[in-house]
Amino acid sequence: MTSTAETTSRPATRRRSSVRAQADARFGLLLATPALILVLGLVAWPALRTAVYSLQRVTLAGEESWTGLDNFRALFTDERFIHSLTTTVLYSVGFLLVSTLLGLGFALLLNEKFHGQWLARSLLIVPWACPWVMVGMIWKWFVDGEVGALNAALYQFGLIDSYAAPLSDSTGALVVAVLAGAWRQASFTGLLILAGLQTIPKELPQAAMVDGANVWQRFRHLTLPWLRPVIVVVVIINTIFGFMQFDTIWALTQGGPGEATSVLSIYLYEQLFVYTNIGLGSATAVVLGGIALVLGFVFVKLLYRSNAITEGVE
Amino acid sequence: MRTSRLRTVIVYIGFALFLIWVLFPLYFTVLSSFMTPSEIGVKPFHWWPENPTLANYIAIFTGDSAPFSTGQDGGIVSSTDAVARLVPAIGRSLLVGVAVVASNLVIAGAAGYAFSRYEFRGSTVAYLLLLASRVVPAIAVVLPFFVAFRHLGLLNTSLALIISYNAFTLPLAIWLLKTYFDSVPRELEEAAKVDGASRLRCLLMIVTPIARPGLIAAGLLVFLEAWSEFFYSLVLTNGLTVPPVVAGLQNLQQFSWTTLAAATMFTVVPPVLIALAFQRYIVAGLAAGSVK
Repeated sequence: MTSTAETTSRPATRRRSSVRAQADARFGLLLATPALILVLGLVAWPALRTAVYSLQRVTLAGEESWTGLDNFRALFTDERFIHSLTTTVLYSVGFLLVSTLLGLGFALLLNEKFHGQWLARSLLIVPWACPWVMVGMIWKWFVDGEVGALNAALYQFGLIDSYAAPLSDSTGALVVAVLAGAWRQASFTGLLILAGLQTIPKELPQAAMVDGANVWQRFRHLTLPWLRPVIVVVVIINTIFGFMQFDTIWALTQGGPGEATSVLSIYLYEQLFVYTNIGLGSATAVVLGGIALVLGFVFVKLLYRSNAITEGVE
Repeated sequence: MRTSRLRTVIVYIGFALFLIWVLFPLYFTVLSSFMTPSEIGVKPFHWWPENPTLANYIAIFTGDSAPFSTGQDGGIVSSTDAVARLVPAIGRSLLVGVAVVASNLVIAGAAGYAFSRYEFRGSTVAYLLLLASRVVPAIAVVLPFFVAFRHLGLLNTSLALIISYNAFTLPLAIWLLKTYFDSVPRELEEAAKVDGASRLRCLLMIVTPIARPGLIAAGLLVFLEAWSEFFYSLVLTNGLTVPPVVAGLQNLQQFSWTTLAAATMFTVVPPVLIALAFQRYIVAGLAAGSVK
């Protein structure tokens, strides 16, 4: 998985004369400049601007005045925000667990040989290809209390006595939101872990089998350590996606019933575009962005450590 | 022998559960789109339409609700306004997607190549900052875009979406393409340079053709992201692209689920077909973009 080009290039770089090296550097800067300007203008600037808004009071007329941390104080004393925060944590934990475990299961399954394996491998990409918002829409009607096929199937198998409408119940709505999100994310997880599984050299499991290791031992001491870097990446991506989820929940419940599925992203949307409370909305954005940054930082840290560990073992 | 039979049983049970998990919600959507509103509500449930109908598809495209306007199915009558918006939205979604892909491949391609081949002062720091910018959640920085586009009079235009989508696809595309260029051997370029080819000529005539698989993978991932994007289109435009238009149909009472299902199909089928057709490129891109 490490790139070989970097190592082969070094002698060539050293041989270059300094004049040519300078011209090379100019050419590189020239090629990279448009992208750098765009990313500065389209990511760094809006992020900075949002941070500034979060420390200000902005009137409808567009007047801005500094208010220090007032917006954050208001945020953390707002019961709806605290409720949103806890809902988001609940949602992302569920989303992370279901998508990661199902994805791991799918990857292990599709790594086995069986009739229909090619079909299953093709189908694995299908939920991932569905836009998030459409996933929400499909699941909304799939679990619907009147026309939903899930009710119909459970009813016909005698598992339920009457059709249920989970989206009108607070717990039910959150569970469906987790399942719908995980329906797509488990595919993504499965695709990545399967790609990781396919890099395991064939001799390893065979050697372990000769040594008398059983299925669990092979999984625990061979497959899992091999997959560690991929799983670390997947866990962090799934956590971030859980925290930032908007589309699926919006299509499913728009945050309802009541406030049952009003996660941070929905709270943020409402503050900015329904109540036009720029200060409070931007403070929420800073909290959300802060969570993403911390998770991203942990991600890089863990990734480096797990790389060091696997490299140390090899 | 016994363990291998057990293995077979477990694998096929797993396969069956997998098929149900992936296909059941989708089958329900396809099935609904070929049914009348009254048939979808029947108990016991019809697992196959009694009289398959294309009326849902016709209704969302032409607003012609004639098949449902008489008898008990009268409720399906479609809003001509929403219908009038769906067809142009498909065209605009394609336009935005193609424009974002084109700008990404040129801009990110050049940058990715630079980071792979031509170090300049600060290039490592710049590259790391680019990677870090992937962590910034789109949803958290939407307001400055909104304010700036309102100021520039760009709200509710395709250009607003093309510009803002670049913010989140560029870092991904640069990462993917840099990784890909790293895996392309340099010998051909070195040889061409000895023959007197300029750096730019090397990039255009030699590297670009070799890097085609990487460019395709990056282009496909970027297109799928642009096609599927919902939040920015919802906030910055009045539903210019397909996802917010279709999601918005849910709020209109006159649309029954069967018609919504047909509209959903138009949003879901194109990316699914693309993903199936280019599976290998996409999986390679996803793996490179997330793991390396």
